[in-house]
Amino acid sequence: MILYLVKRLAVLLASTVVAAVAVFAFMALLPGDPAEIALGVNATPEAVADLRHRFGTDRPPAVQFLDWFGGLVQGDFGTSYVTSAPIGPQISDRLGVTAVLVLGGMAVALVLAVPLGTFAAVHHRDPLGAAISAASQVGIAVPAFLAGILLVFVFAVQAQVLPSGGYVPIADDPGEWLRGLLLPWLSLGLVQGAVLTRYVRSAVLDVMREDYLRTARAKGRGRTGALWRHGLRNASVPVVTVLGLQLATLLIGAVVVERVFVIPGLGDLLLNGVAGRDLLLVQGVVMVLVAAVLLINFVVDVTYHLLDPRLR
Amino acid sequence: MRGRPNLALLTGGTLVGLVVLAAAVSFFWTPHDPTLVDAARKLREPGGGYLLGADKFGRDTFSQLMVGARTTLYVGVVAVGIAAVVGTPLGVVAGMTPRGWLSELIMRVNDLVFAFPALLLAVMLGAVYGPGTLTAMIAIGVATVPAFARVARAATLQVMVTDYILAARAAGRRRPAIAVRHVLPNIGSVLIVQASVSFAIAILAEAALSFLGFGTRPPIPSWGRMLQESQELLFSTPRLALWPGLAIALAVLGFNLLGDGLRDHLDPKLRRIRADG
Amino acid sequence: MLTVEGLHVRADAVELVHDVSFTIAPGERVGLIGESGSGKSLTALSLMGLLPEGVTASGRARLGERDLVGVPESRVKDLRGRALSMVFQEPMTALNPLMRVGAQVAEVMTLHGRPRHEARERAVELLERVRLPEPGQIARAYPHQLSGGQRQRVMLAIALANGPELLICDEPTTALDVTVQKQMLDLIAEVAPALLFITHDLAVIASMCERVLVMYGGRVVESGPLRDVFTRPRHRYTQGLLAASRLTPRGTRLPTIAGSVPPAGRFPSGCVFRNRCPHATPACETTPALTGDGHAHACWHPAD
Repeated sequence: MILYLVKRLAVLLASTVVAAVAVFAFMALLPGDPAEIALGVNATPEAVADLRHRFGTDRPPAVQFLDWFGGLVQGDFGTSYVTSAPIGPQISDRLGVTAVLVLGGMAVALVLAVPLGTFAAVHHRDPLGAAISAASQVGIAVPAFLAGILLVFVFAVQAQVLPSGGYVPIADDPGEWLRGLLLPWLSLGLVQGAVLTRYVRSAVLDVMREDYLRTARAKGRGRTGALWRHGLRNASVPVVTVLGLQLATLLIGAVVVERVFVIPGLGDLLLNGVAGRDLLLVQGVVMVLVAAVLLINFVVDVTYHLLDPRLR
Repeated sequence: MRGRPNLALLTGGTLVGLVVLAAAVSFFWTPHDPTLVDAARKLREPGGGYLLGADKFGRDTFSQLMVGARTTLYVGVVAVGIAAVVGTPLGVVAGMTPRGWLSELIMRVNDLVFAFPALLLAVMLGAVYGPGTLTAMIAIGVATVPAFARVARAATLQVMVTDYILAARAAGRRRPAIAVRHVLPNIGSVLIVQASVSFAIAILAEAALSFLGFGTRPPIPSWGRMLQESQELLFSTPRLALWPGLAIALAVLGFNLLGDGLRDHLDPKLRRIRADG
Repeated sequence: MLTVEGLHVRADAVELVHDVSFTIAPGERVGLIGESGSGKSLTALSLMGLLPEGVTASGRARLGERDLVGVPESRVKDLRGRALSMVFQEPMTALNPLMRVGAQVAEVMTLHGRPRHEARERAVELLERVRLPEPGQIARAYPHQLSGGQRQRVMLAIALANGPELLICDEPTTALDVTVQKQMLDLIAEVAPALLFITHDLAVIASMCERVLVMYGGRVVESGPLRDVFTRPRHRYTQGLLAASRLTPRGTRLPTIAGSVPPAGRFPSGCVFRNRCPHATPACETTPALTGDGHAHACWHPAD
């Protein structure tokens, strides 16, 4: 297990470095020079060269990369070429908002999917079980931002009980904070819940056919008791893998949902960065999102190993 | 199962067929010019030749939906095409030499690409080359490669232990010959199913990108952008969001059901092989 | 002690087990022989109340004074693992892969009311009783760390934990290596209170049981004391089965039963064996009853 952990950690670090190189190289392809963009078309060559020197973009790309990456390791994302503001604090401010959004969405998805998926599996021959399967199939077809628009229509336009967008920091007003997040959470959670329901259902169905469930019943457990005691933990092994993939999907879904609900998260920061051609900012946010996906994969793999003694 | 009508295949096929039909007809005929801006028809109610009404620029919603289907299919076909053409050979190679360094390399790179979702790729590409249909297609295609490679690898691993492959290898046939003659035909049905499922995901991605302004540029109609344009009018004219939303959901549902139906139809044994992305 | 009368098992419209009746006395070891598809496993599972979804049993089966068939699950489940236990064919998949072996043995005792710490201790004793080396260590192991033979011993320990009145074994050694089969059989013979032993292997039955039931096509076609049935088979199917298993001198052809077992629901009317029987006549189109005291058979043209 220790050996596995060390190996997996090494893979995580290596992939993060390679991902950083990829992101950096990609952004370096950009036609156009940050200094020229910052100064506009009428700038003198001397001024451009001077600014280039101040940005450090006149150095060889390898040196620039090491400088950038070295900063990242210490939490320094550099200073924006466009706004001259340090990027690190902006990202860390927004990261918290996006994390709350994603984790809340995941919680909604789990609360929906685990009972519904299990029920649909246990009652897979009944109309209600089939109805849950069909509903989850429809739910998968609805993108999170569309769910968001629908929810706004129902709860903000028609019923007028929740705000259609905006974000109030929890420190300012916890009640409003919660009210503002309910619809975004639901938008992300309903859709991911539908996907997850299908995986939970098929995992539980697979487990229900296992011999050890029959053994449990031969010991004197009823069908439900056997499934609770022996089935659900076994079914959770494949579901955990999917959960990781879903967290990554949710992170990206959050970028779009932030746009729908005007929430100042990482997605909002990223899109503003692109609009303002703030390349270093875009580079930093993309790196954070990619690193988050890699980290989630790492956590999933390790959890998977902890859950299943055969892999230890 | 034999003899029972395949409901998923039937429903999925019908929905996909409708999208294809709308796209095909739109080349020759739409009720109105979908891009024609006309202040006189601004937010026109449905009826009188405007089946679903007109938007804030006076463009006919129904015509826009028809041409939007074309955009959706165009992006889906190219993106899934890129993913299949790149991902399949990688997966087959990795599956045929599961213990080799090449396989290891392919799967590691695969995992890395997997960390770059379509949306991030599209935003990065958009930042460099400017947003548009092409960058959206490439981004979605590249992001879908890992799913194809994984599925192709899993299916190849299964095929490689079957008797006929073992026989072909024992007979001294070379690996490329085995790959083309035996492996590809046998993983074909898995790939077709994956293509259908990936198509659904591509539609979702394209809609999200257009919604954010990183997809198809105006004035070419796209369902995602129709939604984005309708959001501010949700309080006054919700129908403008309803129709493109419905179109996206039904198209995605259609391709998902088609994938499920094909899976059952082509080979029930293959139900377990499925990518999660 | 166990009385089965007129047991039927059906899945939808197809009858899989037809009118099976037999008894097992305390301490008696009874063998149930048949090819796959003969209904022998379904018979056992219906006694345990463990039939798969969509398959139902009717008729009467009683263990002592308690009904096993046609009573609600909540009543049968209290008997399972306590009054009657079962060891299955496939040891590799019968144990929960995520749970330590000791906990899985203890579970069957806590389920039937024994305190947890006591069950833990007794689990180790049971593992020792089924002759597992280092029982304390095995108790802490996960199933994948044990061999097939060891896992089957664990299953046996689970089955014996609450001192059942009857042990049912369904092909318990079929999945094991030949070298460990004999040890396992000896162990079962030693520890079983009363035994219903299911197999297709005549040699195993011969070493384990005092009485046999021969099943074919969901019916008992012959039953009686082991010696009588094996030395003087009456039913033509039993006769063929024995002939096929007898060791033959080199060079002579092994006699076999013509044809193969039809799929469920496709057995002929009347005598279920008549489409494969060399002695079949038009008389066999009517169903023969199982007749005879002690050594009974259901055949219109029995071997002498």
